[in-house]
Amino acid sequence: MIRFNNWLRVAGLAALAGAASQANAEPYLAAQMGLKCAQCHVNPTGGGMRTVFGNTFAQTQLAAKRIGADEDLWTGQVSKYFSVGGNLRANYSYVDVPHQSQTNDFAVEEARAYLDFSVIPNRLSVYLDQRFAPGNSTNMEANVRYWIKENAFYVKAGRLYLPFGYRLEDDNAFVRQVSGINMQTPDEGAEFGIEHGNWTAQLAVSNGSGGAAEQDHGKQFATRLEFVQSAWRAGASLLFNDTDAGNRSGAGVFGAFRAGAVTLLGEVDFIDDDSIGASGRKLMASIAEADWKIRQGHNLKLAFEWLEPDRDVDEDEQTRASVLYEWSPIQFVQLRAGVRLYDGIPQNDNQNRTQAFLQLHGFF
Amino acid sequence: MSEPATNVMARHGFLVVPLLLALAACAGNGEGLDQNGDPIVAGPPANTDFEEIQNTIFTPICTNCHIGANAPQGMRLDAANSYAMIVNVASNEVPGLLRVNPGNPDASYLVQKIQGNNAQGARMPFGGPYLPQDRIDLVRRWIAAGAPGPAAAANKLTVASTIPAPAEIAPAGLTRLSVIFAGDVDATLANGETFALRDGLDAPVPLASVRVPLGRPNVVELTLAQPLRAGSYQLEVHGGGPVSLADNAGHLLDGDADGVPGGDYLMSFDVSAGEAR
Repeated sequence: MIRFNNWLRVAGLAALAGAASQANAEPYLAAQMGLKCAQCHVNPTGGGMRTVFGNTFAQTQLAAKRIGADEDLWTGQVSKYFSVGGNLRANYSYVDVPHQSQTNDFAVEEARAYLDFSVIPNRLSVYLDQRFAPGNSTNMEANVRYWIKENAFYVKAGRLYLPFGYRLEDDNAFVRQVSGINMQTPDEGAEFGIEHGNWTAQLAVSNGSGGAAEQDHGKQFATRLEFVQSAWRAGASLLFNDTDAGNRSGAGVFGAFRAGAVTLLGEVDFIDDDSIGASGRKLMASIAEADWKIRQGHNLKLAFEWLEPDRDVDEDEQTRASVLYEWSPIQFVQLRAGVRLYDGIPQNDNQNRTQAFLQLHGFF
Repeated sequence: MSEPATNVMARHGFLVVPLLLALAACAGNGEGLDQNGDPIVAGPPANTDFEEIQNTIFTPICTNCHIGANAPQGMRLDAANSYAMIVNVASNEVPGLLRVNPGNPDASYLVQKIQGNNAQGARMPFGGPYLPQDRIDLVRRWIAAGAPGPAAAANKLTVASTIPAPAEIAPAGLTRLSVIFAGDVDATLANGETFALRDGLDAPVPLASVRVPLGRPNVVELTLAQPLRAGSYQLEVHGGGPVSLADNAGHLLDGDADGVPGGDYLMSFDVSAGEAR
């Protein structure tokens, strides 16, 4: 009982600190709270299993209402040495592509389970992220993480998501497509990270094969540096992938600031890829997002994205505008509804589609 | 503590909403481009199922992600690479299945992925919209027919694409050319006698190597002894004469596309003085 009360105190302190918002796997939440990703996720770069704080916060600050007894507070910790977590997103989607029949369907977007074996608490962990749907069971992350100095320096190795820009929940965001680094394409390699004061930084070296087995001798280097303040944050990313087909280099800047209940977030990425065609291709993608916490448990998200698929070609730009409403009626449940309007060159119907969705998101 | 939301929107909302609306007008008008967003270049229309698949599925949809050095699963689906990346190539997600198993669409992982009955991962295109049934039928029909390459025909070897592409203006400093064939090349015949590059004065350009890369038997890579300077160039692949390129079954190259094995393939391109193409 004492332990549960301690967690409640942690949550209460978070609220008093003005961190009131939602706790999920999206970077705007960290920006709203003025916290690093590592505060709520065991992975210092965000996403995946939540920490004890992340789970506690999800119950006491995320939802419009918390149901159940106070002592029934889920922390994710089955024992001192073993934690579990998960995510499930069930969608109903509607798609309207010009000159094609409209379609709609139900689908499980994803179901994942996370396991963290903390064999030396706070220092050495074996972490697994397993996707159970769609399709058969697939391992997405499997790595060993060792904090050389607790909460200061770590190294991890195995299969991991690479650090670059903001780890958005939506892998179809232009910035995640163009960079090629998202939560659908883990890579195998090693990562070194620093968490020091307001700074968070990571450097990863990996095969650079998009999740496939290594195909050449070249390696990919991805790095991310971010300065985090309570009301704002800014960072930069670099990427270099040396492949036989050609080199790919990238650079990005990202940042966010909070003004009361509104959080603005943005990222711009530039990619040069020598492996496309004879002369290579230069791409650019950006996102600007505004999140308005209308009241506890309710968030309105507006996002605008811009894609330049070839910077040497004029009039080929694409945009995507999104309006989403996220409602968390009770702890660990989120209902999301959204519309995404794509706008591109008129001769490509797919670039001018409209998508709408309803999503039930359960997590713990 | 957080400022009341209504106050914040009153002060900041007027900045955010117009900005988003203004930015929403920034999509390209597509002038001078084809449906894939590339500058229109005069050329023959697609005349095979594979070319239609490339032009209506792979290039306009799949290459949103499956392109470049970071392509998911290492599978690049741009025109220069798609055929070599999928036909008779094992899937990474389900190694027991070929991405495209010629003659057997149901046992082709590509078909399973676009139909949504795949064993691993999400249905493609990722996040939708999924392909209309007529596009899925096109892929199935192409595979059922043996997955012939672009302009491929029986008993001859043909060129599917090149890097740089015909008539392309490549940047200065080009050091490597690739020729992608519609079938597997007899690697013993890929050498300086069957491949030649000439400059605008018809002088031969030295080649450092001519090789078939490991795991890509339908591709020949030419590495140049020196980076190319600005000017016009012509690539020659000999399908006629005393030393001719052929596939592994001994079928000669039909380089002149007259339907008869044995002609030379000639392709011209330019190298610009600057970096921009």
